[in-house]
Formats: sequence, structure tokens, C-alpha cells
Amino acid sequence: MKMASVASAFFLVLAQANAMAQPAPFDMSTERPAGESSPAPGQEPAIGAAQPSAGTGLVAGAPQFHRRYVIPAEMLTLSGENDQRTWSVYLTAEQAKAGARLNLGYQNSIFVAPEASRLTVHINNTLVVDEPISSPEGIKEFSYDIPYALLQPGANLISVQAVQRHRTDCSIESTYELWSNIDPAITYLAFEGGTAGVWSGIDDIKTLGSNAHGRTEFRLVAPALDQRRATQPLLMLAQGLALLTNTPNQSIVIDGSDVSPSEKGQVTVLVGTAAELAPLLPELPPTAHNNPVVAFASQSGSDLPVLIVSAPDWQGVETAIGRITSASHDGTTDQREKYATSPWRFPDAPFLFSDSHIRFSELGIRTQEFAGRRLRTDFNIGIPSDFYADSYGQATILLDAAYSDAVEPGSHIDVYVNGNIATTVPLTSSGGGIMRHFPVRTTLRHFKPGLNTVAIEAILKTEEDEVCAPGATADKTPRFALFDTSEFHMPAFARIARRPNLAALSGTSAPYGRRDSQPIPVFIGRGDPDTLTAAATLLARMAVAGGRPIDVELAASPAALSNRNGIFLGPLADIPPTALTQLGIDSTSLTGWGQKSSSAVDEARTDAALDEWRSKVSGGIWHTPLTAISGWLKRNFDISMSSLQFSPSADRKFVPPDNATFLIAQSANPSNDGTWTLVSAPTVKELRDGMLAMSTETNWNQITGEIVTYEGSEKTVTSRPVTNFSFVETLPPSLANYRLIAANWFSTNILSYALVVGAIALLLAFATGKLLSMLGRRS
Amino acid sequence: MRKAGIVLIWAAFSVGLIAMVMIPINLQTQLILGLLAVTVMGVIKILKAEGNWRLVALAFGTAIVMRYVYWRTFNTLPPANQPENFIPAILLYLAEMYSVMMLALSLFVVSRPLPPRPSPTPPEGKFPRVDVFVPTYNEDPALLANTLAAAKGMDYPADRLEVWLLDDGGTAQKRNSDKLLEAQAATMRHRELQTLCADLDVHYLTRDRNEHAKAGNLNNGMKHSKSELIAVFDADHAPARDFLKETVGYFSEDPKLFLVQTPHFFLNPDPVERNLQTFEKMPSENEMFYGIIQRGLDKWNAAFFCGSAAVLRREALESANGFSGISITEDCETAVELHSRGWSSVYVDKPLIAGLQPATFASFIGQRSRWAQGMMQIMRFRFPLFKRGLSIPQRLCYMSSTLFWLFPFARATFLVAPLFYLFFDLQIFMASGGEFLGYTLSYLLVNLMMQNYLYGSFRWPWISELYEYVQTVHLLPAVVSVIVNPRKPTFKVTAKDESVLVNRLSEISRPFFVIFAVLLVALIVTVYRFQTDPFKADVTLVVGGWNLLNLILAGCALGVVSERAEHSPTRRVRVTRRCEFGLGGRWFPATIEDVSVNGARVQVYGDLGEMPTSARAEIRFKPYSSATEEILPVEVRNRETEGNLTAIGCRYLPEIARHHSLVADLIFANSTQWSQFQQARRRNPGLIRGTAWFIGLSIFQTYRGLSYLFRTLGSDKASVVARKEKTA
Repeated sequence: MKMASVASAFFLVLAQANAMAQPAPFDMSTERPAGESSPAPGQEPAIGAAQPSAGTGLVAGAPQFHRRYVIPAEMLTLSGENDQRTWSVYLTAEQAKAGARLNLGYQNSIFVAPEASRLTVHINNTLVVDEPISSPEGIKEFSYDIPYALLQPGANLISVQAVQRHRTDCSIESTYELWSNIDPAITYLAFEGGTAGVWSGIDDIKTLGSNAHGRTEFRLVAPALDQRRATQPLLMLAQGLALLTNTPNQSIVIDGSDVSPSEKGQVTVLVGTAAELAPLLPELPPTAHNNPVVAFASQSGSDLPVLIVSAPDWQGVETAIGRITSASHDGTTDQREKYATSPWRFPDAPFLFSDSHIRFSELGIRTQEFAGRRLRTDFNIGIPSDFYADSYGQATILLDAAYSDAVEPGSHIDVYVNGNIATTVPLTSSGGGIMRHFPVRTTLRHFKPGLNTVAIEAILKTEEDEVCAPGATADKTPRFALFDTSEFHMPAFARIARRPNLAALSGTSAPYGRRDSQPIPVFIGRGDPDTLTAAATLLARMAVAGGRPIDVELAASPAALSNRNGIFLGPLADIPPTALTQLGIDSTSLTGWGQKSSSAVDEARTDAALDEWRSKVSGGIWHTPLTAISGWLKRNFDISMSSLQFSPSADRKFVPPDNATFLIAQSANPSNDGTWTLVSAPTVKELRDGMLAMSTETNWNQITGEIVTYEGSEKTVTSRPVTNFSFVETLPPSLANYRLIAANWFSTNILSYALVVGAIALLLAFATGKLLSMLGRRS
Repeated sequence: MRKAGIVLIWAAFSVGLIAMVMIPINLQTQLILGLLAVTVMGVIKILKAEGNWRLVALAFGTAIVMRYVYWRTFNTLPPANQPENFIPAILLYLAEMYSVMMLALSLFVVSRPLPPRPSPTPPEGKFPRVDVFVPTYNEDPALLANTLAAAKGMDYPADRLEVWLLDDGGTAQKRNSDKLLEAQAATMRHRELQTLCADLDVHYLTRDRNEHAKAGNLNNGMKHSKSELIAVFDADHAPARDFLKETVGYFSEDPKLFLVQTPHFFLNPDPVERNLQTFEKMPSENEMFYGIIQRGLDKWNAAFFCGSAAVLRREALESANGFSGISITEDCETAVELHSRGWSSVYVDKPLIAGLQPATFASFIGQRSRWAQGMMQIMRFRFPLFKRGLSIPQRLCYMSSTLFWLFPFARATFLVAPLFYLFFDLQIFMASGGEFLGYTLSYLLVNLMMQNYLYGSFRWPWISELYEYVQTVHLLPAVVSVIVNPRKPTFKVTAKDESVLVNRLSEISRPFFVIFAVLLVALIVTVYRFQTDPFKADVTLVVGGWNLLNLILAGCALGVVSERAEHSPTRRVRVTRRCEFGLGGRWFPATIEDVSVNGARVQVYGDLGEMPTSARAEIRFKPYSSATEEILPVEVRNRETEGNLTAIGCRYLPEIARHHSLVADLIFANSTQWSQFQQARRRNPGLIRGTAWFIGLSIFQTYRGLSYLFRTLGSDKASVVARKEKTA
């Protein structure tokens, strides 16, 4: 119905960038994974046949400059006295060749002293921008020429650094008032000439990166989406695209036929047989009628190209999709060495599976001298999904650092793991000091499967800062140095997977993304665009977390999921009741969710608030020393009544709270040999919106425990911790690993340890008694 | 088969416990375990549960100690690339591991001490012949007279008993010394003792040369005698009448028995006890050894010879060429040798001799230096762990006894370690305040509880530490020197006849004041650092607490080296014996209340009339050894009349040898008195009360030590030690 208008709204030009420069036929054979059957003889230049129409050239109205947005976040905030972000930007050969400018827009806090603060940008380690930070009132925009031949095809490193000093204040607290925000909407690389935006191969999808909102958004337009046949290929395509761009904030919207001008920043992907796509796209590459085709076209009024995935039939479409997924991952089943974060955090985070030492230089931390009062620097490491050392383990940072004699006792170095304080090391000697591989023990409590950020913060107190003479903040005498020879030491840690464990899903898409995994059955309630959008976004996000596409199959009935790992996705009404029972969701919520008010949540909130207030209210004279002691005890031991329980309280059925609009739940399957995950919402609309919201980096990282809900109106995420779980072995049995597993289990069930040791001691004592009456002289 | 089964089960539980202990649990879990262990041990202690429950308490304690060792080894040592921290850290670590090893060994030794048992009596008419050896070097004839008389008075067929005085002070070598004075004294002594022996009807024996010290002297005695059994008494160790009756019977029971050892009971306090005034109420230091450790050793057939108060089998000694004399502790050395040749030993837990302890702190240290050096020599020359012929339990037992004397190293390290942190800010123990609480404190508590559990009524809390500390200061160099030069030390006889006439500081007291001052400064530094460095306040508190503990010990030691004047030079033993008191030819009914080596206190009924002090009087009583009453001449020293009763303090005036026998009969005849006296002191104050008492004691002794110091500095009077003339 809309199709006609859609077609006219489009100016599609098949992009054959190289075809313009050279007569060689557009050949995609390089994108074809080895071993894939080549097209039938006689159709050899299969896609090349599209060339004539592809050579149409630029369409009038196409922008003179092609913009490549570069900020991989909704807002890039550089805060504190010294902050830096490095990431890589993938550029096509054309882009690298083209003359380019860097456009940069930022705004800073009013407290930043312009004379002492600088914003610098390095591209491929060459200084491109070096400006005083002086735009407190509004966004300031710059444009810089990028030196010729600085950009390369493929990955280019962009490093943004802000050195900021306070105008008047020398206190530690004042450093929290220093920030500069870099606006993703006006920070981009601008390439001369229209060809820079033209993609010529599947690999060029990697150049997509983030859009002006710091997100990566695809819209798959598949006229045949209501055919079940199409669902599985679409889900695979979603994963392939997500992996190619590999950015943290991805959403993949699936649409049937609406090809109306997409929202800004959305890349349109047309998927379907040639016959299905023909009405949408008159200029469909003719080869699509004969062969699987992956082709690109540009879209008028947009910097973003259009991707066409087509073939004569759906089997061919799958083949075309296979080219994309296989380009997104090398198909290796080797253990994952790195968590590929370069598109938003360089370098890639090394995966630590066992006892390992990593130098700071390998983690992207450079030797730095620091003249301010609060130095913060961080790095990422990857942790496998079967990490089970959060209760007992300790990692060690072997710190190489030095501090000058200006630094006074009372200064300290703090280590944060995923934003939680893990250790404090006081700097005590007043005459300065050098730390050589000084061991800083860091609890593993806050580590989780997947990506983890460890931050090191030096808090430096000096006499000059106490006095704070005018201009003192601008002093450049170094007080502290951190050396890149420092090491992060991860000891061998317990490894065993737990079921359920949503943190493993969000961290590394375990257990679905396992290397040796069979196709994962996915039960999808219905084939409407909203449900499919949720499914595609979920799987795309999981593929990024797992670093590989997940082979999925569409389950026709819940029976297909028994005895297997599986995923249920759909509005609650579509989910089979057996699955709900298994997942611990109260089946009355089938009718109730979204209507009744939930007292449980309110109660929990009240309790939490009361606790918080208790800690805020200080009592009389007696209270202070007592709280000091109990506070010390709490900090050091953190023993509460709940930690003394033997077994967790019986599972309560989960009733989705009224304000929750979306939930993810996980449990064992009925035969307890697989993991079931449920993604659901009261309505398909909420399902779609909830999933899109959860796919952002911040929300995705909050997927932990056994049930996670998203409250649409408050935009908050709530998770219910795991109460009952079972272990799933992931490594060949070994005594060393069992010992560490026991360590973690006992450290969580602390009474059990004391009792087991006590029981053995008791038995040993009686055995000793027997032995003693047997040995030596008897009385 | 059943035996193997039990061993297997025991081994399985042990492995299980070790495996559990080696699990790297977190701090909270450790804390809960510590709480559980302390609670269980406390409950067992309060309920006074014995038998297997004693082992349960020890097993809980062991688990905590093992956890501490595990944690200490893998989590607290600083990295080796910081030598300034690492080297002292390793020393401290070794000292701690030494302590743990000693704890383990002593747990083994006293796992189940043999309870006292009735002694077998030798079959009637088959009493073996016994030679009694009393080796002497420079002891006073009066002292020897008491000992010989007591030995002679032992309840044993007279024809089966020979007493020998083995005099090394009157040897030909000494009599012909080039030093005139020495030669004269030796000749005098030779003559005097010969007369004494003739009077008492004992053999006098001396030799040509003073070779191999005490061992050589004893071997010389063996050459000249031929009885089946040999009893050895030090010159000041007078036996009770029942000594042989209680010991000889064992030899006919076991033909491979070489030794029956009995405890050494002392009539006078050692310098520590005297200066702290604990002799009357607290068990003596050696009671832990004789009251429980020897009993524990006995369980493993490893009770060893302590040089005196023992009976040995000649055949066994001859098989090993007599007493061994490589080391200066010939006693223990001889026992190792004979145990390794398959002979066995028995320990009789009943005081059957009464002896004297050195009176001055310096002599006390001299005695301990000899023991320490001798045990080190045994370690060096007869390393018991690998000595062939010893059973495994015997090896462990001897290792425990010899290694014990390495304590000066550990004690010195514990003393110095906190100073590294307080003065130099070195991190030699990498742990947070919380970890100290969870691991170190629970370990210390459990350790104290185990000690109290094992030795509670024999050793009060902190007394071991005090004795170790006061010895360490002077023993450390002695032990180092014997390790460097193992053949150098020579046998030195401990002087036991000194007495302190005025309050004074010991001549070797200076280091104690220096150490005290240093620790006091460290305490001030603790307070300063606690305030200036709030980030490390918890660690400062722990290390400062440790230093405070050292300071309390060091303060108490100031009292130990501040020697009190003795009012009553020898200990009075309570007896209650009917007698008659004769004055000026009249006889009054009387009771002997208490006796000492020098005199007695008598309650007399009736009107004595005028009586000058130092009047001559007589006591008539029936000795245990004979059926008729006999008379002992005395001199009246003081009197106190209350109605018809007059309490008279008098001094013996022994004139003939028989008088010595009477004195010996009064003091030494009844060994039950000694047991009663010991029993009266053996009570366990418990950990909390014991600690509180010790702190109080320490505060007072610190004050006393400092006041002695200021008085000495003020008057600068030369210290006075006098060898007290004893009237015979």
C-alpha cells in the first residue's frame, strides 16, 4: 500500500565506488568465505552484472562532504584533571585517500581554567588538535585539517585527551567539577568528495561506526517478515551486521515494508528475494534475480548507504547473509583471546582465563607524570562467563609508581573495579617514595563475566594545595608518576558456570555463545515487526558480547527447547505456561501484569530506603564510636545475617512488578541440562521498546542475577539476584579448580565452612583418640 | 588389621582437614571459623571435659593454627624485590614457623600424658643391689652431709645399699695444683669430706684428673662399684625415704629398662619466683616439664635422664661405655644413646627428692646457658631426628626437647619485629587490620587457649613468655656461640649456695633496662603514628599492641632482675610432728611446725620460764628410720609466747653425723609433704584471670625495677653477693 510512495521517496544508486575509478567488475569474491560453493559457471561475474546500473554516478543533492561520526557514545565526557579516551575508527580505502577534516564540538565546565587546561586529539599518534579548553558557555566547534596520508584504510586510532585544572580551588573535591563534553553530533571526520561515503565491500560495513547520537542503528526492511521462513535468516543478518560494526550501543529494527525515510542515523537494509524487493527498489541489481547479492546503494539526503541483501529465493538470501556473518567472524573455535572493544575503547581487552600477568603497557596505560591532585586512569579486561571467584578471590596490581616529597601522608591510591572501590593504598612516607612492583591486592568481588573496568586513582594531598595560592593549580611540577611497567596479576581463579546467571549472558552471551554450541532454538511468540525487532536486537547484542554470531534456529514449539539451551521471546501471553512455570514467573501475571499494583516492590523499596536513612541518621554521643567500630567491621568483614544462612530461602514465584514494562529471566530447563532465558513484556510494543532500551551499554551491563526488569517510565533496571543455582562444569575435572570452586562456595556459605571444618576436626579428634590408645604406652 | 584400619581412617581425616584448610576462603569465612573454634574450645574448657574432648579442643585449635600457617605463607610475605622488607619478613616468618613447629611437636609429646600409676614393689627378698652416687665439685660439706644422710636414710635393706660421694673438688689434680690457695682448699676439702663420709658410713671416692666433668666423675664411680642399679643425686638433691621403694620395682618388671627418672622438686624459689614472689602460689617453672612433659614423653618411651633423682641400670650404662660426655648435658645425651640402643625408660610422677635452685639471676642464667648449649651440642653431634635405633616417636620427642632451646632466636625476633614497622615503616607483614583480626588474633587466642588447655594448671598464662624473654637476652649469645663453636663450652657447676643479702639489681640487668626503654619509645611512636596516620591506624594499632605486649613482658622482667634480699634463705617445709623440747634438763611436750635445712619452728606447751636467745636446747623425736627416740641439739633464735603455747624458732647445731641424719629425717623423709605443697599451687587461673593477674604483676614489677634502678643510680653502691657461710 505504501510501497509506491516509498519507492518514489528513494533515490537509490547502487554504489560501486571502484567501478567509477576503474573498469574492473565489482567483485565480491573476496567476501566469500573459502569453501562456499561458488556460483554456477557462466554466472561468474555475478554481481558484476549490476555494474552498468551501478555506474550511474552521484546523484544530485548528495553532500559534497561525507561525514563519518566518530564518537562511540551518546556523550563523551572527559572529567577530572586528566582524562583520555582512545578508540579506533574503521575507514575505507576511499575515505583514507580522500582529504579529510576533523570537526569537533565541545562544551566544558565553568570551573575549568582555560590557561591551564588543554584539549588534545591525536589521530594515529599524531597531534591534530591542541586547544585551550575555553568553552563554558556553549558548544564550541572547530575544524582541523588532517595531515595528508595520516589516515589509513582500516583501523585508525583516535585519542582524545583533556588536561583540566580548576580556576580557583585546589581541593580534591573540586576536581570533580571539571568536565568537558564532546558532542557526538558535531564531532566527525569530513571527507571530500562523494565517493568517500560509498561502500564497496562487506568489510566496509565496519566503517559505519556510530551515528550522530553515538549509536549504531540498523533497520532491516524485509517484506517477507511474516513468513516464518524469513525469521532465522533475519536474526543471523542482525548478528552479522552488529559484529561487523562491533559498537556497544546497537539497535536493530525490523520492518516489513516501511521504507519511508529512516530516522536520522539509521542504516536501511533491504532483505528479501528479488521478487519481494522489486516493488521497493526498482533499481534492484538485476543479478539478484539469478544469484545471491550483497550490494550497496546510496540514499539521497543521507550520508548513510543502503544495504541490499537479495537473491532469487530465500535459500539464496541465506547464502548472501552467510557472507555477511562469515565476514563478521573468522569462524575460529579457538579460545577468545581478546574482547574486541577497539571501536569504543582501545586496546582490545585481554581475556584472562587463568593465572596471568599483564603489563600496563599492553592494557593501554602509558607512563605518565602528573602534577595535579587526582589522577585517574583505567583499563579493561575480559573475564570468562564461568568466573566463580567473586567471593574469595584477590587479584594483585604490581604497581610501579613514584611520588615526590611534596606529597603528604594522607594521600592514597584507590583501585576501583567496575566503579566499586576495591582497595585503598595509603601513601605514608612523607619524603616521597618509589614503589617497585608494589603489590596492591584487589578483591575480585566486583568482577563479572565479560568486560570489566579497573580504575586506578591517585589522591594526592600537598601543602601547596592546602594553601592554594592563586595560580597554584597551574603548577606543572610533577607529584606523581605511574609507570607502564606496572602489572595486573590475575591469579588462577575458580571456573565453573552457574545456571541461571544473566551476568554471563550479558557478559559473554554464555551459554548461548559457546564455541562448541549447537544451533540455539529460539521460540518467538509471533512474527510481527516489534517482536522480531526485540529478537534481532537481543541476538545482535549477544553476538557482540560473545564476539561471534550465535547459530539460532526457530523453534516451532516449546518441545523443541526441552533438553537444550533455549530462548523464549515474546509478549507474556505468547509464552507457553510450562516455560513460565519453569522460569519461576507467576502464571497469574499472565493476566495481571500491567494492571495491578505490586506491593512487593514497594516494600522492598521502603526497606532499602529505611536502611539508607538509618545510616544517614547519627545518634547521640555513644553512637559515634560504635558506628566507627561497626563501620570498620562492615567494611572489613561485611557479615550480615543473610550471609550466615545455610541455604537460600525457598524460591518465591516472581510476580512482575506493575511498573516493570519488560523482563529478562533465566533458569534451568526442566531436565536441568540446559539454560532457558525468557525475554518478555506485557505487549509487543513494550517488548520492542524495552529491548531497545536494554541494548544500550549502560543498561546491558546491568543484566545480572536471575531476573531483570526494566521500568519504562522510570527508565530504570532492577535485577533480582540468583537464589538457587546449579553448577555447570566448563572445564575438564581438576583438583586445583575444584579447590578454588570450594573456596568460593564456602566463602559464600561461610557457616558451612566452619561446620565442615568443625565436623572433620571432631572426627579427627576421635580417630586420634583411638590411635593414641593403640600407639605408645598404655596407661 | 584393625590397627591399619584406624591408621587409614586417621590419615583420611587428617588429609581432609588439611585439604579444607588449604582452601583459600575469604576473610569473613575465616572469622566465622575462628569464632567457632574459640567458642568450642572455650565451652570444652568451661565444662572441664576430658578424654577425647581434650583432643577435640586441640583439633579445633590445630585447624586454626594450620589456617594461619597457610595464610601467613601465601598471603603476607612482601615481594622479594624489596630486600629491606623481605629479609626481616622472612626472619619473622621463620621465627613464627619455628613456634608453630614447636607447638606441633609438643602437641605430639603431650597428646596423652601417662597418668600417675602405683609403683611396683620389688619381689620380697629380691631387692637388687643399689649404688647411690652423689657427685660433687665445690658444694659445701654441710649441704653434702644432709644429702648423704638422706640417701643413707632411704628405706631399703642396708646391705643392698651403698652410698658414694664422688668428689671432683678434691682430686689429685686439684690437690697438686700449681695455685697454692686452690691446692690448699682442695686438700682441706679432701680431708674434711673423708671424715664426714666415715662418720656417715658412706664411701668417699675421688680421682686423679678432672676429665669429662660430671660424666667422667660418674664413670669413675662405676669403675669402683658393682651394684646392679645406680641412683644418682646431685649434691643438693636429698632423697626422701621412699625413693628407692618407688623406683626400683620397675627394673624387675622390664629387663630392658635403663632409667627410672623422678621429678626435681625444689625447696627454694628460683630467682624469678623469688623476685616476683610467686613461689607460694604459682606452680614452679619446672613443673610443666616434670608435671606433664615427662609424662607425655613417657607415653612414647622417651622420658629422659635429667642428671639427678634417677635410677639407672649398670648393664645398660656399660653397654654404652658409661655416661656420655661429648656434650655438657651428659644426662640427656646418655638417654638418647641408650634409647637408640633399644633400652627403655620410665618416669615416676612423684617428687622423691628435694633440691635447691640457684639464688641469683646470674647463676640461674648460667644454669640455663649450660642446658641450652648442651642441648645444642646434642643436636649437633647426635641429631636425634636421624639417629638410628630410635623409634619415630622418640625422634620427635628428642627433637622437641632439643629444638626448644632455639627459643631465644624466635623470642628475640618477636621482640624486634614490631620496631621495624614502628620506627622504620617497613612492611614486613603484609596484612590489613581486618586480616590481623581474622587470622592473627584468632591464631593467638587459639594458641593461648591450647597452651592453657595443655599446661593450664602447671603454667599460668604469659609465664612461659616471661621465662623465655628473661633468658633470651643472655641465652641468645650463648646459643649462637655453641652453634658457631660446638666443642667449646665446658661444664660449669651451677652455684646453688649463694644468697642475696640486700635488695639490689642483678649484675647482668643492664640490657633489660635498655630494651625496656626502647620498647617504651616504640609505644610513644605508636601513639604518635596512630594520630598522624589515620589511613594506617588499624595496622598501627595491631603492631602497637604487639609492642605493648613485649613492653609488658619487658616491664615484668625488670622485676625479675631486681633481686630481693632473702630473709629466710631456705624454704620452710610444713610438717606436723610430735616431739619433746628440752631446755635446761626439763622436757616439754611440743610439735614441730615447719622445718628448713637450717632450722625448725617448734610449738611448745608449758611454762618455759626465762630463756636467753641463743640458748642451747634439744629436740627429741622419733625418726622414721628407727624405732627409738633421738635427740637433736638446737640453738634458740626467737620465741613468741601466747598463753600456754610458745612458738620457738631454732637453728640446728649438728655435732655428729647422726645429727645430720636426724635433720634429713625431719626435712626429707616424708615426700608426701612435697606433693601436697605442689598440689596446693597447681590451679589454673584461666586465660582471662591469668592475663589480668599478669598485667597487674607486670605493672608492679616495672615500678619495682625502676625504683631499684634509681636507687642504684643514686647510691651507686656496689652490688653485694655473698656466699653465705653455712654453719654445720
